[in-house]
Amino acid sequence: MSAMGATGNGAGTTASQPSLAGALSLPRGRRGAELIMLAFSIGVVLFAYANAGLGLNGHVPTGLATYGVLFAVLMLGAHLAVRKLAPWADPLLLPLAALLNGLGLVMIYRLQESGRNGNPGNAISTMSASTTTFQLMWSTIGVIAFVGVLMVVREPRMLQRYTYTLGAVGLVLLALPALLPNSISEVPGTGAKIQVSLGGFSIQPEEFAKLALAVFFAGYLVAKRDVLALAGRHVLGIALPRARDMGPVLIAWAASLLVLVFESDIGTSALFFGMFLIMLYVATQRTSWLLIGTSLFLVGAWAASKLVAHVGVRFAIWLHPTLYQNVFCGSASVHVPCVPSYQLAQGLYGLGFGGLLGTGLGHGQPYLTPLVQSDFIITAFGEELGLTGVMALLLIYGLIVQRGLRAAVAVRDPFSKLLAAGLAFVVALQVFVIVGGVTQLIPLTGITTPFLSQGGSSLVASWMLIALLMRISDTARRPAPQPIQDEGMTQVVRGI
Amino acid sequence: MNHALRRVSLVCLAMFLLLLVNANYVQGFEAGKLADGPGNGRTFALQYQYQRGSIVTSDNVTVAESKHIGGVYSYQRSYPAGSIYAPVTGYDSPYNKTGIEGAEDKLLAGADPRLAVRNLIDLVTGKPRKGATVQLTVNSVAQQAAYKALKATGLPGGAVAIDPKTGGILALASYPSFNPNKLATLNGNALNQADKKYLNSPQQPLLNRAINETFPPGSTFKIVTSSAAFSSGKYTPDSRYYAPTNLKLPGTTHELINFDNSPCNDGSNPTGTGKVPLIFAFTVSCNTVFGGLGQHLGGAKLHRQANAFGMNRPLRIPMPVSPSNYPPVSNPDYTAYSAIGQYNDTVTPLQEAMFAAAIANHGTLMHPYLVQKVIAPNLSTLVVTVPSRLSRTVSPAVAGQVSRMMADVVAQPYGTAHSMVANLGGITVAGKTGTAQNGANNTGLDDAVFTGFAPVANPRIAVGVVVKGGGLGADASAPVAAAIIKAYMNYLNSSPKR
Repeated sequence: MSAMGATGNGAGTTASQPSLAGALSLPRGRRGAELIMLAFSIGVVLFAYANAGLGLNGHVPTGLATYGVLFAVLMLGAHLAVRKLAPWADPLLLPLAALLNGLGLVMIYRLQESGRNGNPGNAISTMSASTTTFQLMWSTIGVIAFVGVLMVVREPRMLQRYTYTLGAVGLVLLALPALLPNSISEVPGTGAKIQVSLGGFSIQPEEFAKLALAVFFAGYLVAKRDVLALAGRHVLGIALPRARDMGPVLIAWAASLLVLVFESDIGTSALFFGMFLIMLYVATQRTSWLLIGTSLFLVGAWAASKLVAHVGVRFAIWLHPTLYQNVFCGSASVHVPCVPSYQLAQGLYGLGFGGLLGTGLGHGQPYLTPLVQSDFIITAFGEELGLTGVMALLLIYGLIVQRGLRAAVAVRDPFSKLLAAGLAFVVALQVFVIVGGVTQLIPLTGITTPFLSQGGSSLVASWMLIALLMRISDTARRPAPQPIQDEGMTQVVRGI
Repeated sequence: MNHALRRVSLVCLAMFLLLLVNANYVQGFEAGKLADGPGNGRTFALQYQYQRGSIVTSDNVTVAESKHIGGVYSYQRSYPAGSIYAPVTGYDSPYNKTGIEGAEDKLLAGADPRLAVRNLIDLVTGKPRKGATVQLTVNSVAQQAAYKALKATGLPGGAVAIDPKTGGILALASYPSFNPNKLATLNGNALNQADKKYLNSPQQPLLNRAINETFPPGSTFKIVTSSAAFSSGKYTPDSRYYAPTNLKLPGTTHELINFDNSPCNDGSNPTGTGKVPLIFAFTVSCNTVFGGLGQHLGGAKLHRQANAFGMNRPLRIPMPVSPSNYPPVSNPDYTAYSAIGQYNDTVTPLQEAMFAAAIANHGTLMHPYLVQKVIAPNLSTLVVTVPSRLSRTVSPAVAGQVSRMMADVVAQPYGTAHSMVANLGGITVAGKTGTAQNGANNTGLDDAVFTGFAPVANPRIAVGVVVKGGGLGADASAPVAAAIIKAYMNYLNSSPKR
């Protein structure tokens, strides 16, 4: 480690030469790079926005100036906040998040305009003429939350103090929709009880529960990881834990199953359990936990597919997406009620129709897929931007995950490590579950696509997640405190 | 913990790789299969997002075109002539495509591999994709005359006119017809209404009677019987043959009689005990003579001759044509019936036209076809139909003999179709009438049948007409044929280049 010297990117820097450390080898925050990339993100988004308008009706959208300026100001504001609050944070995360958020806004605008204001296509009944404005408002709240997290959480370890408080908050948020009456908590037409909807204004508490529980898991596992890691015996080369240490895993498993049963939401259930398992694995380095946990989840999911109709149907649809849908579903001549595979089949048709290069923004018919603006938004991108666009989006997500995991590797204290790992992995898993679901890789479960889907909770929670990752990377990359004495060769060595 | 973190990174990498590979599979490899998936509204709309090729007649009258109306379904198919060309063009409805619209769909839609290079160039240059134009062999004057004349009978029927030299179909009409515009509408409710109305109508307007309904040929089949007789070398039109008033058929409960139960009398056979020349028997259409002749020739010979005229086989023009039937007959009594176009004989109006066309073309039957050529959007010719021989029906000499007899049918004052001369304006026609008995014990109305060609010396058009329940062939069908022939010959004479 010590040999890396000034070539290290911050985390491994060793101040071997005090004078150099003070003047030259001070790790760079790379805020300049962040600004350039952010400008690039904003440029792409503005270009896409203009392109969508041109594709729809041949005119640059009238809102380009106002929306564009608003978006740019918002993102530049976030950048300035980072400069002030987390100057050593990873320079890629903010531009990536901004790009996703902006592209999501563009697609939501494009979907909202379909069939409205003289544009071709059918109007999407589940969207209103002000959906984009609302989404931009939520983006603003998201960026404010982003800045807020950076301001409040000055040091990730600070959160460790609230391990159990946040654990309780997370559980309450998670359980809330199940406890509320269906009229408030059920997403119309899906059977999933995942929201709290009051007066046309709805939030999905699970999105925030995700963050709270990540903190809880990190705190809990840091405290208990030795016993979870060491006790037990070896069977067939796998270190099995003691029966009494199975407790936390079983509790997490039971909680995820309860979510599944009472909220009919296998996606969220998989998300939480997967996040917990990975954090448990990282904390203990014990592969057996992964095996035990995955088997438990598969058993639970299998049982649920048999017991809960909603889940069973999803499996049947996954296997034969185009089989169950009425040919004239959705047209004027509906003779047979639409069966649920219609949405998946239309999403796949959209992806197939987009092909390699896509139809171009505004030229496709993504509105044929029900709820394309939320769970299926990736199919809209696939249709209009093609395989190229989908791959680009996946790579953006992949980069976010990679930067998150990198922060986890780089940061020193175990709590931050675990937290970063959990948050980065939950992004990967969420993208895997929803994108895999709509592309028929795995059975479809309705969860949001981070940053892209219409809906405020997901967007705000995603911004908060990015803020936490940036805070952790900031801590990781922050230069070591200056040695107090000049004389001698005192080294500051960072332990990993 | 970093060791575990690196493994987690690998897990994440694996998840993203799975997603990427799967996206490539869905959008790259499976896209074609998905495009054909049930209820794929995008593929459905796609066909209305570019201009489908037009269908035009040989004299460049547009009979089907796509008009720009804007929106997602940018183009609306339209048929300017309504029901007149419906049996030819068919329709292009959201549900299905028939006629030329169906048979040449790939070219009209621009999806044919022969248009692939052009489509690629359009893709690169940003030009919208366009379908190819299909030019028919159909002549607008002949087609309109055919439809108008059929309609004037008020009875269901079909009429087909062929250029005997090439096999190109000049007219193909069916009545009652339908309005393809009503089935091409993109208004779901209007479409369902029209669809229901046409499907439930007892008149069966969607049935293409010219090629997809068969009728007994009646006496027109005597062309086949005569051809077989002359080809045997033992008979000429002037050969005299037994002409009884009644032909006894011991194997059946019936006797074969002539049309009005009279002897076949050319002046030498007042009692029905002698013989008459075959040309006379043909001209006045004596059943007993040809029944006896057919019996004598045998079912096998007639079957072979019928096959040579294109019967007993499916045909594509390019739409599928119902086969006209002359099933093998071994019983000599039924052979007599079959030799005069009764028993199990059935023909389409197209087959009737093919009888005349073969004789007109010196015995060589050309393959009938509807598509003259296909023109790419850049006006280059993609496909040209080269006329091809379907079969050699009779030798030129025999064709000349049959032709002579057919000419008499119209020209001789005692010929069964002499009445049509008044409508022909000096054009010489050779033809044969048929009055086909129908239904159980012949209780149905007689179908009127006519086949013929004109001008006799240098045939340019061969016509087949069947009017269901029209009675005498001369009364109902010959006037339709006369109208088509006259219209087409006038057209040819007014445009001397052709």
